[in-house]
Amino acid sequence: MSLLAPLALVGLAAIPVIVALYMLRMRRPERTVSSTWLWTELVRDVEANAPWQRLRRSLLLLLQLLCALLLVAVLVRPVLERPATLAHDLVLVVDASASMSATDVPLDRLDAARRAAIQVLDGLPAGGRVSIIEAGDTARVVANEVTDPARAARAIDSIRASTGTGDMAEALRLADALAARATGSEVIVVTDGAGIAPTDVRVRVPVRVVPVGRERHNQAIAALAVDIDPGGLRRQAFVSIANQSDVVVTRRLQLLADGVPFTARDLRLPVMSRTDVVIDEVPRGARILEARLSRADATAAGETADVPDHLALDDAAWAVVPEDRTRQILVIGPAGVFLRTALSLLPDVELYGVSAAEWTAGTARDGDWDLVVLDGVIADPLPATPILAIAPPTDSALGDVLGALTAPTIGEPATDEPLLRDVDLTRLHVARAQRIELPSWARVVLPGPTDVPLIYSGVRDGLPTTVLAFALEQSDLPLQVAWPILAANITGELLGRDPSASQPVRPGAVVQLPVPPDASGLRITLPDGTVREVEPGVAGDGLATFVETRQLGVYRVEPIPKPGVDGPDARPSDPGASSPTPASASPGPAATTPAAVDLRASGTRWFAVDLFEPTEAAITPSDGSALVALGTPAPEAPATAGVARDEWWPLLLLVLLGVLTVEWLVYERDGARRIRDRLRALVPGRATGASGPSGTAGSGGRSGTR
Amino acid sequence: MSLAPGSPDPAEARTTTAPEVGAQAAQDALAGRSASGAIDPVVFDEAFLRQLERLHLVLRRSVRGGLVGTRRSVQHGQSVEFTDYRDYVPGDDLRALDWNVVARLERLFVKLFVEEQDVTIHVLIDASASMDSGSPDKLWFARRAAAAIATVGLASYDRVSVGVLAGRSARRLPPMRGSARVMHLLRELSRVGPRDGATDLVAACRAYAAQITQRGPLVLISDLLDAQAERAIGELAATRCEVSVLHVLSPDELEPPLEGDLRLVDRETGQRVDVTVDLATLDAYRARLAGWQAMLGDACTKRRAAYVPVSSALPVADLMFAELRRRNVVGA
Repeated sequence: MSLLAPLALVGLAAIPVIVALYMLRMRRPERTVSSTWLWTELVRDVEANAPWQRLRRSLLLLLQLLCALLLVAVLVRPVLERPATLAHDLVLVVDASASMSATDVPLDRLDAARRAAIQVLDGLPAGGRVSIIEAGDTARVVANEVTDPARAARAIDSIRASTGTGDMAEALRLADALAARATGSEVIVVTDGAGIAPTDVRVRVPVRVVPVGRERHNQAIAALAVDIDPGGLRRQAFVSIANQSDVVVTRRLQLLADGVPFTARDLRLPVMSRTDVVIDEVPRGARILEARLSRADATAAGETADVPDHLALDDAAWAVVPEDRTRQILVIGPAGVFLRTALSLLPDVELYGVSAAEWTAGTARDGDWDLVVLDGVIADPLPATPILAIAPPTDSALGDVLGALTAPTIGEPATDEPLLRDVDLTRLHVARAQRIELPSWARVVLPGPTDVPLIYSGVRDGLPTTVLAFALEQSDLPLQVAWPILAANITGELLGRDPSASQPVRPGAVVQLPVPPDASGLRITLPDGTVREVEPGVAGDGLATFVETRQLGVYRVEPIPKPGVDGPDARPSDPGASSPTPASASPGPAATTPAAVDLRASGTRWFAVDLFEPTEAAITPSDGSALVALGTPAPEAPATAGVARDEWWPLLLLVLLGVLTVEWLVYERDGARRIRDRLRALVPGRATGASGPSGTAGSGGRSGTR
Repeated sequence: MSLAPGSPDPAEARTTTAPEVGAQAAQDALAGRSASGAIDPVVFDEAFLRQLERLHLVLRRSVRGGLVGTRRSVQHGQSVEFTDYRDYVPGDDLRALDWNVVARLERLFVKLFVEEQDVTIHVLIDASASMDSGSPDKLWFARRAAAAIATVGLASYDRVSVGVLAGRSARRLPPMRGSARVMHLLRELSRVGPRDGATDLVAACRAYAAQITQRGPLVLISDLLDAQAERAIGELAATRCEVSVLHVLSPDELEPPLEGDLRLVDRETGQRVDVTVDLATLDAYRARLAGWQAMLGDACTKRRAAYVPVSSALPVADLMFAELRRRNVVGA
């Protein structure tokens, strides 16, 4: 045991002062009584002229001396030293992924992880530094080289569970960078080890894992989608339920349309498998579909009763029902059979056609077209609608034609290109294509040779536009299975009927929201009712970036009309809402490909954020050996890190408070007794101490005084 | 001092204290009116005096009296109550012969009758400085009680002797007899005041006892705040009077309104003591007070004296018609 602040021993000088105060004779007010004879055995002192009196035994004196001693003991900060079990520089990674919300340990895994992390800090040597990283959907440093254990504990307590996949790889990279600043560092990861451990990370210091979590019982809604058949007559909801438990369980699936339950069914979920359910009776007119998973009333024979579902985050999911408005598509040009067939197969589409000359003459120019397809022509003027241009012959705002390509090679498209979802173009052959320079507003969908795009797409002056550099007849694309899918993807994106419109947004993902031309921004209502306003970015692409998608649920998006524009949704901005968030040109490191959201129309739209993460649904805890393998093996004879100190002053402070309380009670015991007596006096028949007229009443009592 | 003891406020009574209280004051007192003119609502009005006249001090055994009165004496006399016969001896009054017996037995017998005499009622007031304290004032209460007891005695044709104990002596007022002396008695009692300095209760009681020539009821009205109070009672009991002790304590002494660190000053001796008064101390005080009263009660019982502890806040009517009757000091 040693003292961190021995100078505080000066406080012991207070002890003789306290004793001296007790020996000093106090100045007492005089009261004349008929006789002091009855008081003679009760007096403390007889009158004397000396200013000092003999020290008597007093409980208050003892308590106050004890208080002074304890106060000095607290101030000198006694510590007990022991060998440290951690390195001098420590990086602590706390897993905050969605699986850490599992409640198989009280209160949940994250709470257990916080407690374990704080406990780990006990092994930190004196003066040791700790950096703490929260491994949520993004890696975040919550404390950097903190030497104060209390401050580190507060930082650990500030960690909150995310609703998405934990980015453990990024957290370990960050930990590796932090640990590299000092020699002899180590990384400790507090995690449940659920999910797939990253493999592409190397940590240059030893990694230790503190596991949390016990059980694997979890049932999750792994997918929820709503689709409308091409005829528009039937709406189907597709729900996939995953049972991550090692026992067969029965769960009740309940579906709600716009918050109103319309069907429920009990599902028997096999061990470690997914069960798909297709529900046809989705009500017409429903906009939001919600699926809930709950415990069934009864279990089937052979099942284990009362199997818990430890993770509640994935027991609910939402989907936005696609809008079924009929779209009008105008084809300018010859409109070959392949194009007509592909477009006519699209649901809720009415197809029209004119020649370029008719368009120039003004025919059909006043139509309310949702999409104009330029098949080998350039319309003059260009329609102010979304445009699909196929083999544009001349320069235009759609792109400058530099020449022609003969049998161009097909480049490798981006894997996450939404227009090429479920489209295989590896066997595409193009005989002839236009060499078009990629406009600034477009992105390459299908690259050709030497940076020349064969398909590109983007938002031109607020209008979605896609260009195919080759005519369909000059390729074998129409003969492939990919063609109708590609046509559906392209028209879906241009019409706002992209299949991804009903696809959920991943928690924490960046969402690009198209802002209608007559709107100054978007007002977004989060699932918890919070309202945010965003404005389009400065890039002029008519898109606003929204990043606050950490809450699971349905987000409501409304356009904010420009000043002076009257619209059905025109209304003043909510004064209680936060200030408009400027569109971020750089969404940050987590900005992957923005999710597309059906917002092209001017009305209110929704999008859903769901936890459809198999890695988070699988909450089976592991010992973290995979994470340990990512680090450098620890040396067999580690250098002595130092000593850890256990400070005793918190315990002593508690004792001091207790003694102070006792001292106060002793000092104020008369007050407490008076209150008790008055309360008893309020109760009829419980009055005490009343003396009759003859005044002979009296009671025995303590002879102590303060 | 007006002897309008029913006044609930001793301070008000003190304001009317005067060295000489005239007959008018006494008349006012009898009429239940104080010197200040305020109506005294409770005692010593006409109705209360009539009630007092129905009381008498209980005498448990016959004593030799002085003048003819209403009390049975140990002597034979002229009353109508027959007691015995005895042989005639020359010189006896021939009117006392029982002629029926003479005719029947042919012997001379004289009839003897009970003699009825008065007794002397001794009322002792402790006028020490300690009695001049409390609220209501203990001495003020003692004078009221003494006036009421003396009035009962005078109405019973007994001789009333009032003694004032102060210092080491006892000042005995001239004995009075007959209802006509009530005014004089009240006037004398109005002059009784506290005496400064210490009082030796034993010596004062011994001094009064030496002056007793005729035995009878003796009522001591005192706070007995003396370490030798038991001996003082013994001195009075040794006179073979029927002693009653009215132990008067003020409400302030029964439930001291004290709290905190105090220096208590003895009103009689000036002695100062430091005391810390809290509930525990008050509990100890009450216990000591109760034990002391119990000890005094036992001492009185041993000496066949009546012990009546009272508070100075007790109305005189309650004292006379409740406390003293309950303890058989007075009867109706």
